Amino acid sequence: MAYLEMDNVSIGFGPPSNRTEVLTDVNLSVEENEFVAVIGFSGSGKSTLMSLLAGLQRPDKGEVRLHGSVIEEPGPRLGIMFQNYSLLPWLSVFGNIELAVKQVFPKFTASELKKHVEHYVEMVSLTPALEKKPHELSGGMRQRVSLARTLAMKPEVLLLDEPLSALDALTRAVLQDEIIRIWEEDKRTVVMITNDVDEATLMADRIVPLTIGPSATLAQEFPVTMERPRDRANLNKNPEFMKLKNSVTRFMVGMNKESKELRVDNTIQMPDIKPYDFMPPTRTSVVVK
Amino acid sequence: MAESAKDKVKYKILKALDVSGFTAFDPVIRLIFGEEPQKQLQAIVKYLVIPFFFVLACLWIWTWMGPRHKTKSGEVPTPDIVWESAVINDTIADREEIKEQDFLLEGVEREAALAEVTKEYAVLSEEVKRLKELVATAEAEKAELEAKAIGPIQEKHDALKAEYKLAEKERDEGIAAISEEVAAGKADTASLIAAIRDDGVATDAERAELSALKSQIDEIRSQKYKPLEEARKSYDKVADAQFFMKTRLEFLDKRNLTVKLDEAQSKLDGYMTDLASAGSAKDALKIAKRAVKAEESVDRLEGQEYASAVTIYHQTKRSIFTVFVGFFMAAFVAIPVGIMCGLNKIFMACLTPIISVFKPVSPVVWLLIFQIVVGAFFPDPENHALLNFLNELPLISSLEINPALIFSACTVAMCAVWPALVNTALGVSSIDQDHINVARVLRLGFWNRLFKIVIPSALPLVFAGLRISLGVGWMVLIAAEALSSSDGLGKFVWDEYQNGSSLTFANIIMVCFVVGIIGFLLDRMMIVLQRFVSFDGGGTSV
Amino acid sequence: MMTLKKWVTTAGAALALSSLHGEMLDLEKDELKFGFIKLTDCAPIVIAKEKGFFEEEGLQVEVIAQPNWKQLLDNVINGELDGAHMLSGQPIAATIGFGTEAHIITAYTLDLNGNGITVSNAIWEQMQENDPALDTDTPAHPISAEGLKPIVEEKLEEGEKLQMGMVFPVSTHNYEIRYWLAASGIHPGFYTSEDKKGFTNAQVELSVTPPPQMPATLESGNISGYCVGEPWNQQAVAKGIGVPVTTNYDIWKNNPEKVFGVNAKWAEENPNTHIAVVKALIRAGKWLDETDDSGTLVNREEAVRILSQPNYVGADFDVIKNSMTGYFYFQKTDKREMPDFNVFFKYHSTYPWYSDGIWFLTQMRRWGQITEPKPADWYHEVAKKVYRPDVYLEAAKHLLEEGHIEESDIPWETDGYKPATDEFIDGVLYDPKDPIGYLNSHEIGNKDS
Repeated sequence: MAYLEMDNVSIGFGPPSNRTEVLTDVNLSVEENEFVAVIGFSGSGKSTLMSLLAGLQRPDKGEVRLHGSVIEEPGPRLGIMFQNYSLLPWLSVFGNIELAVKQVFPKFTASELKKHVEHYVEMVSLTPALEKKPHELSGGMRQRVSLARTLAMKPEVLLLDEPLSALDALTRAVLQDEIIRIWEEDKRTVVMITNDVDEATLMADRIVPLTIGPSATLAQEFPVTMERPRDRANLNKNPEFMKLKNSVTRFMVGMNKESKELRVDNTIQMPDIKPYDFMPPTRTSVVVK
Repeated sequence: MAESAKDKVKYKILKALDVSGFTAFDPVIRLIFGEEPQKQLQAIVKYLVIPFFFVLACLWIWTWMGPRHKTKSGEVPTPDIVWESAVINDTIADREEIKEQDFLLEGVEREAALAEVTKEYAVLSEEVKRLKELVATAEAEKAELEAKAIGPIQEKHDALKAEYKLAEKERDEGIAAISEEVAAGKADTASLIAAIRDDGVATDAERAELSALKSQIDEIRSQKYKPLEEARKSYDKVADAQFFMKTRLEFLDKRNLTVKLDEAQSKLDGYMTDLASAGSAKDALKIAKRAVKAEESVDRLEGQEYASAVTIYHQTKRSIFTVFVGFFMAAFVAIPVGIMCGLNKIFMACLTPIISVFKPVSPVVWLLIFQIVVGAFFPDPENHALLNFLNELPLISSLEINPALIFSACTVAMCAVWPALVNTALGVSSIDQDHINVARVLRLGFWNRLFKIVIPSALPLVFAGLRISLGVGWMVLIAAEALSSSDGLGKFVWDEYQNGSSLTFANIIMVCFVVGIIGFLLDRMMIVLQRFVSFDGGGTSV
Repeated sequence: MMTLKKWVTTAGAALALSSLHGEMLDLEKDELKFGFIKLTDCAPIVIAKEKGFFEEEGLQVEVIAQPNWKQLLDNVINGELDGAHMLSGQPIAATIGFGTEAHIITAYTLDLNGNGITVSNAIWEQMQENDPALDTDTPAHPISAEGLKPIVEEKLEEGEKLQMGMVFPVSTHNYEIRYWLAASGIHPGFYTSEDKKGFTNAQVELSVTPPPQMPATLESGNISGYCVGEPWNQQAVAKGIGVPVTTNYDIWKNNPEKVFGVNAKWAEENPNTHIAVVKALIRAGKWLDETDDSGTLVNREEAVRILSQPNYVGADFDVIKNSMTGYFYFQKTDKREMPDFNVFFKYHSTYPWYSDGIWFLTQMRRWGQITEPKPADWYHEVAKKVYRPDVYLEAAKHLLEEGHIEESDIPWETDGYKPATDEFIDGVLYDPKDPIGYLNSHEIGNKDS
C-alpha cells in the first residue's frame, strides 16, 4: 500500500447541464519520503488535483487516501503551500507562522513557540524580516514565509502548488535549492505541482505529467534517477538530465498538439500585426507628490 | 550620521502628513529640510499657493456678490460680517464666564471687582447718553433729508391723485351719459362698451403711475442713512456693554453667592439667638421652624451653581458628543450584524428586505419615530436612574443628557448604521478564498476563524463603512437637533433662524463653517484610523 | 441641627401652627426647566430668571426655547419641562381633550393683548380701493374686515379661497382672526369631528404656520395675511412685506393672551414650588409694568435688551423695542402710541380669571372644536378645573407680607369672573356668567340652546 494515493479520482464542476469534468480517473501513488512532481499546462486541473490531495475538495468519484485512510478534510498533516502565498496580510512574518504553530502544537509554551517559529524563519533565511508585514516583502520572501509556515506545521506530506511560478528566474533558482536542501535535511513526502520541466527534473524523484483538460488524467510517468545532490551548474552538461528533459518536453508538446487536433477549431485566426508605434513602456521615476 | 537622524525626522513628519492626508504640505517639509528647493517651490506654488489664491478669490466673489443680492431678510452677509458674528458669539460665551466668576467671587476680590465695575458702569452710562443724543440727531437729519427728497414726489403724487380722481369722475359721468343715451335708444351699445373699456384702461394706467411714485417714495424711505446706521450701531454696542455691566453689578452684589450665603447665615443666627430666649413653647416652635427653613436655604445656597446661558461652545461640544454616542450605537449594532450577514447567507437573506426598505428612510421620519419610542422609556426624565447616573459622570455631566439627546443619537445611529453594516457584510463575505483555505488547513475553530481570519481581513472595509457612517451621522445630527430642538449646533442654527435678527443670516453661515470644519476633522480622524487598520500600505508605523 | 429639625416636626404635629407667610417656602423641587416660544410675551418668565426673582425664591431655573407650540405642550406633558409659556387655549384644550389630552392648569396669566393681524401689501392695496377711507397714511382704527370682504368674494367666484395664517388651532390668534373675519360676515370655517383643519364652509382658509415663519410664508405668497404675536407684525413692516391692519386690542380690548401652564400632576406634587414660581412671575410682571410718575414704562428698555439676547427672543433690539415700549408701526409712516399693546401686570391682568377660560371655551364651541353642545355648567366646571386662583392668591399673600406688592395690585375679593363687557370690535356683549347666551349672540358660528 502506498503512502499517499489517489484511486480512480474524478471531479467536475458546474451544474449538470453545463458540466466540466476537470479530472477523470486519476490514479497516483506516492511512497513515503518520495518527491513527486506533477507537471502540466496551465488550466489542466493541476490546482484541483492539489486541492484534492490536501482535502480542500472532495472527489466526485474515487478516493484519496493517506496511510490507507480516506482524506475527508484538510488538516495540518497535509501541509499545502499555496500558489499565491496565502499569507495573512495583517500579521507579521512571525505572526503568520505563529498562528499555524499555535494551532498545530497547542501544548507549546510561549518560549517553545517562539523558538519553533524562529527556527523555521531561519531555515528560510528570513530572520531579519521577522517583524515585517507581508506587503513589505518581495514575492520571493513571501513565498519563503509561506514555505516556513507550511514546514513549521511539521506536515506528513508537503504539497507544493506551483510554489515558484510567480517568481523571477533568479529567485526561483535560489528557492529551488532551498526547498531541496530543506527536504534533504528533513525528509518527507512531497508532491509538487509545476509547469516547468527543468524544475521538475531538477527536484523530483518522479515526474508525472497531467494530460490536457477537460477530463485530464495522469499519463505515463518519468522516473528521475539522477544522483543527489544534483548540481544545478552542471546539469546542462549532464546527458541523463538532458535526455529526461527532452523526453518529458517532447511528451508534453506532443500531447498539446494532439489535443489541438482533437479539438474542433472554433477560434478565429487573428492577423499577426504588430502595433505601428509600439514602444516599450518607459519607467519614469515617480516624483513624490 | 547627523544627516540620517535628520532624515528620520523628516520621513516621520512626511509619513504623518501622509497618514493624516495632508500631503499637500509635503513640499513645505521637504523644503525645510533642504531637499531639491527648486522642485519643492514649484510644488508649493502649484499645490498650496494657487489653491490659496483660489479660496481668496472665492471669498472676494462672496464679498462682492453678497451685498448685491438683496433678500427680504436683508443682504447676504459678507465674510467680515460672518466673522463679526463669530466674534459676537465668542463675546457672549466670554460674558457668561465673567458672570459666573462674579457670581462666585468672595471677600476683597469681590469688593475690588464691584468698585471697578461700578466705575465702568458710570463711564458707559455717560457714553450711552451721549450716543443716544447722537442717534437722535442722526434720526432727525435722516428725517429731514427724507422729507426733502420725498416732498416733491409726494406733492406730485398727491396732485396726480387729485387730478386722476377728477378724471375718473368725468369718465364715470361720461359713461353714465352714454348709458342713458343707450337706454333712450340714441346711441348703440357698442359705444357704451367701448367707453367702459376705455375707462378700465385709463384707470389701470393711472393706478400704475401712482403706485410707481409710491414705490419711489418707499425706496427713498428704505434707503439707509449711513451716519444714522453707524450711530445706531455704536449706540447698540455701548448700550449692550452698559447692560452687561449692570448685570455684573447684580452678580457682584445682591445676587452674589457669598452675599446671599452671608445673608442667609445671619438670618439663621438671628433665629438661633431668638430661639434661646423664646418665651413660650408656641413661640419657640415658631422660631425653630423658621430656623429650620433658614438652615435649609443655607444648605441649598451652598449647592447653588451659576446657571449659564447656552453658548455656541457648549452646543458644539454637545453635538460632537451626541454624534459619537449615535455613532457608537450604530457601530455596536452594525459590526456584529454585518459579520453575521457576511458569514451566513440565510441571515443575509433575512436582513436584505429590512436593510433595503429602511436604508432610504429620511432622518426626519426616524427622528419622529424615536421621539415617540424613546419618550416612552423616560416617563419621568427628572428622576430617571440612568439619566441621573449619566449626568453625574465626571466628563459629561455638563452636557445634560436628556431624552432629546438620546433620541437624536438614536436617529443618528439609525441613519449611520447602514453604511457600516453593508460594508462589514461585504468585507466579511468577500474574504479571500486563500485565507479561508489557510483556516481550513489549520483547522481553526469557529471563534478562531472569526477573530483571527474573518474580522482582521474585513477590518479595512469595516472602517471604510464606519467612516461613511460618521459622515452621515454628523449630517443627520444637525437636522435632527434642529427639528427636535435638542441642544447642539442644529438647535443653535434653528434658534437663530427663529430669532430673525439682523445677525441671523451671518450666524447661520458661521454655523455652516463650524459644522463643515468639524465634519472635516471627524472624517480625517476616521481616515487616520482606517489607515492604521489597513494592511496594504503605510500608516502602521507612525 | 438635625435634632432641631426633628424637634420641630414632632412638636409641629402636636401644636397647630398658623401658616408662615413671608418665609421661604418648603420647595419640593428647586431645579426647574421652563419652555417658551420666541415671542415678546414670554417676558415675565425671562425677566423672572434674568432679574433674579426665581433665585430669590430659591429656584434654579433654566429657560429653554421650544420650536413650536405642539412640542412645547408635549414637553410639559412628558415631564421634560416643568412649566411653560402657553397659549391661553392650550391648557383648556388639553384638559378637555382637543388635540393632545392631559390635565394642564394655570395659575398665572402672563399678559394681555400683544397680537396683530397683518395682510400682504397686495391685499392692503385692494382693501384701500374697496374702502377709500383706508387710502391714507394714517387710516382711522379699528379697521374691520369689511374691506376684505369683496376680495374674498371675488376669489370665491374664481373658485379660490383666500389663505391666511395663524399659529395654532387653539391659539388666541386663531380665535381672534376668526372673530375679526366673522364680525364682518366672512366665514372662517368650522372644525368638525372629521375636519380637524377647520375648513368646513370656510370662505377664508386658516392654516397653521409657526410664528417665526410667518413673514417668510407671507412673502412667498402662500398666505395673504396672518394673525401673530410680536415681533412678527413689526417684522413685516420693517421688511416692507405687509401691513398690520389691526391689533387684538381693537378686536377685544385687553384680552387675555398667554398663560403660564403646568401639568396638574406636577402642581399636585410640587405645591410650594408652584407657589414660589408664581411669586417670582408676579414680581416679574410688576417689574415689567413699573412706571414713573409721568406714566412712562421705566423698565421696558432693559427688558428689551434682555429679550433681544439670542437665547431668548433674539430679534433685533429695535424691532422688539417698538411694541414693548408702547409703540406700534402700522406702516413705516404710521407709528402710533399703544401704551397697552403689551400689558404684563396692570388691570389685575395676571390673575387667572375663570371668565377668560370661559371665553376661550365659547370660541372652541363656536368654531366646532368642541363638537357637542354643552350645558352652561360645564363651561364653569372646566374653567375652574384649569384656572387656579387659589395658587395665585397664596403666592400674592406671601408677596404682600414680604412687601413686594401692594394691596391694590391683587383682586383679593373677586369670584374669578370679570364683569360683562362689550368692548369688542363688533360690540357684542360678553357676559361670562352666560356662555350659552354669548354663543348664540353671534351670527356666524355654532349656536346651542
